[in-house]
Amino acid sequence: MSSLPIDVPVAVLIAGSLLLLAGTLVLRKSWRERNGAKPMLRFGGWSLVAAGFAVFCQTLGGEFGTAYALMTLSIAALLVVAAGMEVRAAKPRSARDIALEPEDRPTNWPRAIAKSLLAIVLSGIAAIGLGVAFAVAMPLEPTDRIVIGGLLVPVLWGAGMAWTLCDAKLVRATILLIIVSVVGYGIAFLPKVLT
Amino acid sequence: MTDRSIDTKPRRRSFLKPDFVRAMLAGHSALGLAFAALIYIVCLSGTLSVFVHELQRWEQPNAPLVEGFATPEMLQQATVNAHKQAVADNAAHDLFVMGPGGVSPRLQINYHDHETGVQGSWIGDAEGNLDRRVVAPWSEFVADLHMVLHLPRTWGLFLVGLTGVALLSSLISGLLSHPRLFKDAFHFRWGGSHRLQEADLHNRLGVWGLPFHVVVSLSGALLGLSTLIVGVLALAAYDGDQQKAFSVILGPQPSADETAAPVPDVAAMVRQITDRQPDAVFSSMNIGHIAKAGQIVTINMRSPGHLPFGNPYAFDGSGKQLYDGGFETGSIGQQILGVLQPLHFGWFGGILVKLGYGVLGLALTVVTHTGVTIWLARRRDQGRPSPGWERVWAAVGWSQPLAFGTTALAALTGGGGFLVAIYLATFAAAFAVAGVARDGGATARALRLLGAVAIAAAVARHTQVWGAQISDPMAWYVSAAMLLCALTLATPVLLGGRSTAKPIAEQA
Repeated sequence: MSSLPIDVPVAVLIAGSLLLLAGTLVLRKSWRERNGAKPMLRFGGWSLVAAGFAVFCQTLGGEFGTAYALMTLSIAALLVVAAGMEVRAAKPRSARDIALEPEDRPTNWPRAIAKSLLAIVLSGIAAIGLGVAFAVAMPLEPTDRIVIGGLLVPVLWGAGMAWTLCDAKLVRATILLIIVSVVGYGIAFLPKVLT
Repeated sequence: MTDRSIDTKPRRRSFLKPDFVRAMLAGHSALGLAFAALIYIVCLSGTLSVFVHELQRWEQPNAPLVEGFATPEMLQQATVNAHKQAVADNAAHDLFVMGPGGVSPRLQINYHDHETGVQGSWIGDAEGNLDRRVVAPWSEFVADLHMVLHLPRTWGLFLVGLTGVALLSSLISGLLSHPRLFKDAFHFRWGGSHRLQEADLHNRLGVWGLPFHVVVSLSGALLGLSTLIVGVLALAAYDGDQQKAFSVILGPQPSADETAAPVPDVAAMVRQITDRQPDAVFSSMNIGHIAKAGQIVTINMRSPGHLPFGNPYAFDGSGKQLYDGGFETGSIGQQILGVLQPLHFGWFGGILVKLGYGVLGLALTVVTHTGVTIWLARRRDQGRPSPGWERVWAAVGWSQPLAFGTTALAALTGGGGFLVAIYLATFAAAFAVAGVARDGGATARALRLLGAVAIAAAVARHTQVWGAQISDPMAWYVSAAMLLCALTLATPVLLGGRSTAKPIAEQA
């Protein structure tokens, strides 16, 4: 797109994409190798991927280069996955295909509601508390601490969700999240209370 | 993001203990099921929203295109004309101008008055004249579905933000329940066991698209939750004043002084910026409280090699610069703020990046869909099938392409007045199909065919309505892409069982 404030030369696009594609192909060979690890192959694969990133970043700059390279790596790898598709005939499942099953837990409605409250509400309260505490108390420029604090909220909330849903002990999760919330909001609102 | 349906030969011990993986899988499964429908709808509508400017051009294919970037003179003319029109429409409060050359070759002008609730959207020509009103109800419908699910704005943003958090959480738990992340990175088995096939698809698309999935879910969650987060921050540090909190990160906001003032000289402001930065090009502009003493003009100018839509420069009505946002070369927080929207929507690098986002957005949608189909297949494998849920999920999943087809058709036929109602009616009809269909597989097949027909009908209707009037080639490309979607939906059904894997409902 010549109208954009970045020109993407076709040669760079092709060279970078080919390097990433070659890297994923080599990694595929290394990871699918059944007779032990192949460190040289793995090293070669990652080196090609790194070279692809370098080509994109060198030519397009760090911001555009990284974005283009990450996107191209994803698509190149999916192409390699699709090209290596193993078509199987319909047959009963063999023992080799048995999956590792999720933990079978006894559950009921009160427990499910309690888990939802923990994962969605209490994790959210705790995450917002920590994010706002960061935004208020960190010794950074105001924009930096507010933006990074804001960015922390979804990350912490998501991590809290994942943890509370995998932890079978509801009381432990509840107590920890309450402590985290008290600490977070304490730090966030303490300056206001003290003045 | 994982169902570890892989061989169980003795191997090196993983750093993730089996009990931990099983617990993570249980959490991943519960979260995925709870939010599956919401995540799926947000992801699919988000994938379409990447192309919202192209869809707008499809809906109005005879509107003028503008070569290159906006000039100062064009912007001044557009501002004066838009202000006049906004006064005539009783909506002269806030004005937004999006220049051509960045995300779309159109000059687009919007104004609104949040007190009267009146708003107007226009497409401008190369001289800055208002050429015609924007009439793109379907594009607006798709974008609003993605951003607020057509709920009241505050609630919609929060729910979509929460959906982003749930998606992010699923990515974390999916990653932690995948001990053979690298070893299995290229396994893709099609056929044989349905569950294995779906699991491979789920895991491969999930793992290799991970950078994209993390970026869009994190940025989406933050964009959706920003009002809530800033609200709490304002309570803690800004005496409850949200505007004050926002002004710290977004620059000065217009004051309440409503005394009449001249329309600002935006051309001079743009020249001020280009005098210092000759390579900066106009991206967009926002004038808060236009032609009032408290007005603030924020001009976004983009420099080569940077991802943000533009670096914001704020001026008062007299042309005095008050603020430089630092989105391109400022502090880390300013730069993060600058890349949030471009990275979320994929509008930073032209059509190639948009196509890449389209592919990866579709991959995330498939990851969500297969997450539920794996759960359904697992239940069948365990001898406790859920035929009812199989129908429900087929209805949820395959109703969406159908609903996009019916709403596009309706927008082209009767305008945008009833699109939400038509969307909901299509959703309900899909459930009715599920109610009478033999099983989940039959529901999916019927809805896929209906979806293909609806999308093809929308393209046919578009050609009938616009036909010879089409001056924007993008309209033909979008029509072709829609026909390709219709073909992709219908072909596997018409070919009948090309997949060697037995559908869920037939594995009993």
